Amino acid sequence: MQLKDAKILIGDDSILARKQLKDVLASLGAARFVEAVNGNEAVEKFIAEKPDLIFLDIIMPIKDGISAVKEITAEDPSAQIIIVSSVGTQHQLKAAIEAGAKDFVQKPINADQIASIVSSRFE
Amino acid sequence: MFVQFFGGFLLNKGAVTRKQLIDAMEKEATSHIQLGTLAMHAGLMNAEQIEEVRIAQTHTDKRFGEICIDKGYLTGDEVDELLESQYPKYLLLGQVLEEQGVFDQNTFHDLVLEYITENSIPEEDLSNKNEGSIPGLVKDYCSEFASTNKEYQLEYIELLLNDLIRFIGSDFTLLHPVVYTNEYPAQKYASQTITGSYPVSVVLDMTEDTAIKFASRYASEPFDTFDEYVQASMEDFLNLHNGLFNVNISNTYSDELGLEPPVSGEKEAIESHSPMYMFPALFSFGIVNIVMSELA
Repeated sequence: MQLKDAKILIGDDSILARKQLKDVLASLGAARFVEAVNGNEAVEKFIAEKPDLIFLDIIMPIKDGISAVKEITAEDPSAQIIIVSSVGTQHQLKAAIEAGAKDFVQKPINADQIASIVSSRFE
Repeated sequence: MFVQFFGGFLLNKGAVTRKQLIDAMEKEATSHIQLGTLAMHAGLMNAEQIEEVRIAQTHTDKRFGEICIDKGYLTGDEVDELLESQYPKYLLLGQVLEEQGVFDQNTFHDLVLEYITENSIPEEDLSNKNEGSIPGLVKDYCSEFASTNKEYQLEYIELLLNDLIRFIGSDFTLLHPVVYTNEYPAQKYASQTITGSYPVSVVLDMTEDTAIKFASRYASEPFDTFDEYVQASMEDFLNLHNGLFNVNISNTYSDELGLEPPVSGEKEAIESHSPMYMFPALFSFGIVNIVMSELA
């Protein structure tokens, strides 16, 4: 699949963080985005939209990112979830991977790191 | 980070007014260090010789360095070495203040000596290469802040100052801290709570105009009104800084702290049962107040 055809879900309670990640992804060629403002909405939109790639923050109101990862992977164990968080502790990294996330990006986001993540998954 | 404490020192001494300091910090961004300033700092020339060369420059096309060599004040090698040398950031601030007529080079030199003597700062720590004295400066600055975990508190504040430099800019100086009991009158604020063994509430507070400029710097985008992006920028900075603090604590002490989502508000009296320590960072665009209160 080409990146321009991939549907990408971005779950973060910060409108700025969502925009910044979207801008980086758009600069790489992505064009189809779905946004969620908390973990609950992320799960709902995953079920409704079936995105090809998911970026999730951890610290979110109502439902945190790790809980959302668990629910999404229960729905679809092959879901491609990337955690993007400021709290990149060993504990959080372990929790994210055990919950089913495929990778972890420490904020502030680095465009090269995002490029590497998408290039390994899309043409 | 030495210069961030030095500006506050100049203010406390009455050597500069707040407006003079702000004007100098603004001008500093587009200024370049001059050979005369470097030569005086290196002890190779005095203020009178520098002034003599400057006057001579007005009558000739020659560069400052060439005139210094002609007059025997510097050798060619010394000029090259000075131009290639790394210099302490406070020198540029001093140069700008001197250009603006706030004080002369000798007065500035005396103030620097007074500051490093008062704070027992070794000469080598004044350069950009070595900032070993910074923990001591932070500790002195926070000497009135009681804490259940002083080590964590000082790490938090030192990291916060570094993150302000990294994500907002280095053109600020710390003003005298203020202790609030019971409540703090917030203007436009973002707040976040760290949980775990070091529970602390941190508030980032400023006027609307300052918030717009703060956000523009943080997001590297030109905002001109206070909107959801400006609010998000304040929350994001706090969340990023607190997250990085948690990572540091986890890596250094194997202690896992938690973090609640940030919240925002305006024109509110923020209450606390513990003392609230407010340290104002005077940027060239306004004052950014950081308020910490430990919840344990």
